[in-house]
Amino acid sequence: MKPLLLMVEDDAQIRRFLRAALEAEGYRLQECETASEALAQASARQPDLILLDLGLPDRDGLDVIRGVRQSSPVPIVILSARGQEKDKITALDLGADDYVAKPFAVGELLARIRAALRRSAVFAANSAEGTVRFGNIEVDLENRVVRVDSEEVHLTPNEYKLLQVLLRHPGKVLTHRQLLHEVWGPNQTEQAHYLRVYIAQLRRKLEREPARPRYLFTEPGVGYRLVIEE
Amino acid sequence: MVRGREAVLAFGIVAVTTVAGVLLRGHMAAANLAMLFLLAVVAVAITCGRKVSVLAAFASVAAFDFFCVPPYNTLVVDDYEYVVMFAGMLAVALIIGTQTSKLREFARQAAVREARTGALYGLSRSLAQETRVFDAASRGAELATEILHAQVVIFLPQDGRISFERRTSDHLPVPSSDIERAQQVFESGRASSAGRTAGARYLPLQGTRQTLGVLAVLESGEGDLPLADLIATQIALALERILSQSAAEETRFKIRTEQMRSSLLSAVSHDLRTPLAAITGSASTLRTQDNRLDPATRAELIENISEEAERMERLVSNLLDMTRLESGGVTLQREFFPLEEIVGTALQRLDRQLARRKVSVDLAEDLPMAHGDEVLLGQLLWNLLENAIKYTPADSPLEIAARRQENFLVLEVRDRGPGITAGEEERIFEKFFRGERNSRGAGLGLPICRAIAEAHGGSIRALPRDGGGVVFRIQLPIEAVAP
Repeated sequence: MKPLLLMVEDDAQIRRFLRAALEAEGYRLQECETASEALAQASARQPDLILLDLGLPDRDGLDVIRGVRQSSPVPIVILSARGQEKDKITALDLGADDYVAKPFAVGELLARIRAALRRSAVFAANSAEGTVRFGNIEVDLENRVVRVDSEEVHLTPNEYKLLQVLLRHPGKVLTHRQLLHEVWGPNQTEQAHYLRVYIAQLRRKLEREPARPRYLFTEPGVGYRLVIEE
Repeated sequence: MVRGREAVLAFGIVAVTTVAGVLLRGHMAAANLAMLFLLAVVAVAITCGRKVSVLAAFASVAAFDFFCVPPYNTLVVDDYEYVVMFAGMLAVALIIGTQTSKLREFARQAAVREARTGALYGLSRSLAQETRVFDAASRGAELATEILHAQVVIFLPQDGRISFERRTSDHLPVPSSDIERAQQVFESGRASSAGRTAGARYLPLQGTRQTLGVLAVLESGEGDLPLADLIATQIALALERILSQSAAEETRFKIRTEQMRSSLLSAVSHDLRTPLAAITGSASTLRTQDNRLDPATRAELIENISEEAERMERLVSNLLDMTRLESGGVTLQREFFPLEEIVGTALQRLDRQLARRKVSVDLAEDLPMAHGDEVLLGQLLWNLLENAIKYTPADSPLEIAARRQENFLVLEVRDRGPGITAGEEERIFEKFFRGERNSRGAGLGLPICRAIAEAHGGSIRALPRDGGGVVFRIQLPIEAVAP
């Protein structure tokens, strides 16, 4: 059966074109306009993914993330207005999977939805073992060996740990705070410049042109994203 | 009225002279000794004033007669010529004494005048520095207190009423009756001296059109009332200047905002209407003539809608950014970050537009981290690249380079386009400026770049490039050492 998407959006015009685009892709769709409706539908219908607009008439969209995350790991993709980095970070820290800034092209949104659905499937299959290959890079997770163009590259323990965390969430934006927490522990979440230094080193070792990355992308003011499929 | 200290001093001078006379009386002619006594009278006149000098004149003549004119130690004289001499000496002593003390009085008055002028000058100068009504009043009251040696309070009106809250001194006990008195003076514009304490005086601060407040001189003893009037005038002038300045400032601001708004409106309405017209036209063609259009035309119209919508989006974003930057609604989220991050992001976002171009990136090895708002600086770079894409041939190369130069991070975006018309290097950073070649867009991209660079304490310039093209050079201060 095709995945069921829950679309939470109060603007009728946006709902209209999203409905057209998503149904054309074959997704099943449940629509609602308010936060309380969204929370009710999320637990009643158990959707495969939630598409969530943050500006809702009754309550803050962030409340929906909090509510849903209490009981479900369902992927949540945020539709945010441009320039609200703070909201994006809060949403991601609360457990949202991704965000798309309005106005967006539908192609972009569909790609994010596909990636989020795939991640949750991978997560369910728990396949974070063996060897991961992307582009000219190969990561042997069992032996902790990284090869670029079949040449072994030496990573420091922290660099490897960082890569590992990113690999666990391919295509997902991880906030500075989330990465710091995962790699350096809960007490280092304000030291963003550590992270930047390690990311820069990782890029030097993995990317051909660190200033034009193919895999390890910066989300300005928010965090980083590792993209492992073309 | 002769004060004790002056009398003692005068007595001392005459006594010393007398002793000197006694010591010299055998060796000098009496006429020459008389000169000593005249000198003493002059000294007394200079130091002690006219009244004492008159007494000193009589005392000197008497002492001269008694001690220095034979027979000694008696007022009786041998020779009656001496009587003439005494009379002459007394007359001379009185005249010199009077004239000298007059001079002294003139000098004293001049000094007082000078001090007063100085004080008023100081008052007006220090009031001239104040830019707020209440500050000026406080400063005025403070200086008036010093100048008049009396406690001075200034009351200011609030909505037409003298208000207890708006007075310049907190610690003086001012009962409500004084507020009422001040209110009366404020309303009538006439000074009143019927205060709570003897000698208290309420002076209106009279501006050219209206009364601006009340100056109260409390508990003044002798009090220099004309001086108090002058001070009140000075303070009133200062208050009036400040009031009219802030009114003028407000008017200027309103005019500027109005001009901004109208140029914004005309630019925006043109730049929004054009893509809107294209969108509406394309969409309505698709709706009404759908079955008569061939697939290629239909695809073209759809492409048209999408492109024009993107153009509108850029314009609206730029307008919002500009407004936010200008209204101070942006707080910089400063962080240390390597420049390659924003370079990578900008190139990624412009991937499609950059399709056929060669873009080379040259970031110096020893480049320190930038300290700034990653999102805004990323936007700056993005705007510059977008600008280059728009105004240079689609296959011309672009370069992005960064290096350290003393205490600056220098980031450059270089193109091989047609360059900038001479004389427009600065104007392209002005809002809504349209160069000869610039026919599209609201001319906001570069002004936003400048606003962002300046918000970081840096600068941006456009320089002609050797061999053709433009170099946009951004300088950002390296403030702190990166951790």
